Amino acid sequence: MAGSFEEVRIMKNSISIFWRKRSDFYKIRLTKCLECGKVSFPSRTKCPYCGSKNVRIVEASGKGTLVNYTVSYYRTEDSDELQPRIIGLVKLDEGVIIPAEIVDVDPDSLRKGLRVEAVLRRLKSDDPFGLIYYGLKFSPVLK
Amino acid sequence: MGKVFVAGVGMTKVGRIFNKGYKELAMEAVDKALNDAGIAVSEVDYLVVSSAFSDSLLNQVDISSILAQEMGIDVPAISVNTGESSGVAALEAALNAVRAGKSNTALIIGVEKLSEFPSAKINSSFSHVLDYEIEGIRGIAPINYAALLLKEYMKRYGVKRDDIFQWAIEMHKRAEKNPYAYLRFALDLDKARNSQVISSPLTLYDVAPLADGAAAAVLVNEDLQTTIRTQPVEIVATASATAPPIYLRNDMLDMLATKKALERLRTTVKFKMGKDIALQVHDSFSIYGFLALEELGVCGRGEGVKAIGDLQYLNVGGGLKARGHPVGASSLYALDETVLLMRDSFSGLRYDGDAALIHSISGAENNAWLALLKR
Ligand SMILES: [Zn+2]
Repeated sequence: MAGSFEEVRIMKNSISIFWRKRSDFYKIRLTKCLECGKVSFPSRTKCPYCGSKNVRIVEASGKGTLVNYTVSYYRTEDSDELQPRIIGLVKLDEGVIIPAEIVDVDPDSLRKGLRVEAVLRRLKSDDPFGLIYYGLKFSPVLK
Repeated sequence: MGKVFVAGVGMTKVGRIFNKGYKELAMEAVDKALNDAGIAVSEVDYLVVSSAFSDSLLNQVDISSILAQEMGIDVPAISVNTGESSGVAALEAALNAVRAGKSNTALIIGVEKLSEFPSAKINSSFSHVLDYEIEGIRGIAPINYAALLLKEYMKRYGVKRDDIFQWAIEMHKRAEKNPYAYLRFALDLDKARNSQVISSPLTLYDVAPLADGAAAAVLVNEDLQTTIRTQPVEIVATASATAPPIYLRNDMLDMLATKKALERLRTTVKFKMGKDIALQVHDSFSIYGFLALEELGVCGRGEGVKAIGDLQYLNVGGGLKARGHPVGASSLYALDETVLLMRDSFSGLRYDGDAALIHSISGAENNAWLALLKR
């Protein structure tokens, strides 16, 4: 765990944010509204459509289909190398659309309707001065 | 409710301005605006500052107090941050202060100084206009959403990739005539076509360049308006709305916040939307420019490309695309350009209409702000 002054100085990410939200990074949790009936991503204490707090958090299966995607060369502080990243919208089998990174796939083989499933991958890293943070991304379902 | 007028405007050139800090930029815009209005700094009794990234990039919290100190005034000073649309939000805050009688002469400053750091760091900060705990942590940036929208738009309406470049080409034409613009050069289809892909199918020329800049405006109440030497332009109303993130929308091409803000604006003021209105729309990415024209009712769905050639008074300064996007200052540039256009002329254009509309959004339209001006 981060301790020394040097480590704290170099860490870019918050351990507590990740720890607190870990259920939403390791699982796909949805907010089912018992007032308006709508289901949304991710887990929230209130329905983003109607504001009701009469909601139930449900876990999604982690399977879905790709509905849209972009191959991104946009550079941020988190960009590793010159590797492009694929950002897409996945329609979960539960009917909810979520934004996600798509991995382990040749960009040329991407198409709308591709079956995808959630896989655990690295999200952010403070290595070697702090933690490596993991969360769900999506990759094509292997037949 | 008394009327509120823009008495003075002032802008700096937009760009990567390495020899000036944010204070110098802000003071340059302030001096121009006060000089334009013929008002002494001591007459300012209220200050609103709009800067989206002063905290994250300039290490400056409470920038409004710091700028008040810099000006040598001791007035109520507030900072406003609604991301990319902060400028119109600041305008509303100043408008409300004057209307409420808390201010007779309110100064608005929009300032952004982004070029202090490499673009990867600026891009990270810019990405934080989205929900950090949802998109930020997952590495999803506003440009990625714009790319998804662009793809969907082209597919649904049968719009070609080349057609979309018309936005940038038109904006560059306007910026060429705007002395304050960042990208003052003509753009042709060949050059646009060969530009680098940033997030497919979106390329460099679909993206507004993030840049440094400051724009200021002075608002006065009805009593003071008669003492102002410039031709008054009235801020009739502002309206805004937030909306769910695009992945929760039934149709991601709907600009829900813009739609709601427009409904709210129409409940307070009557005006006619048409191809001949002076209009500033938010084009952080060209796709938003087209979607805004369509959501605001300037043209039908999917008809933005066809319409743009006829829109003489659209984004007269070149829009975010070619004037540049000094984020917290951007919609105040839009305000200043529009005030100059309505007063007399701007970029060689004269405008006969009596109303003008300014539109600004943040992120993938997490919010939308509108301001209606009349002369
Ligand atoms: Zn609900």
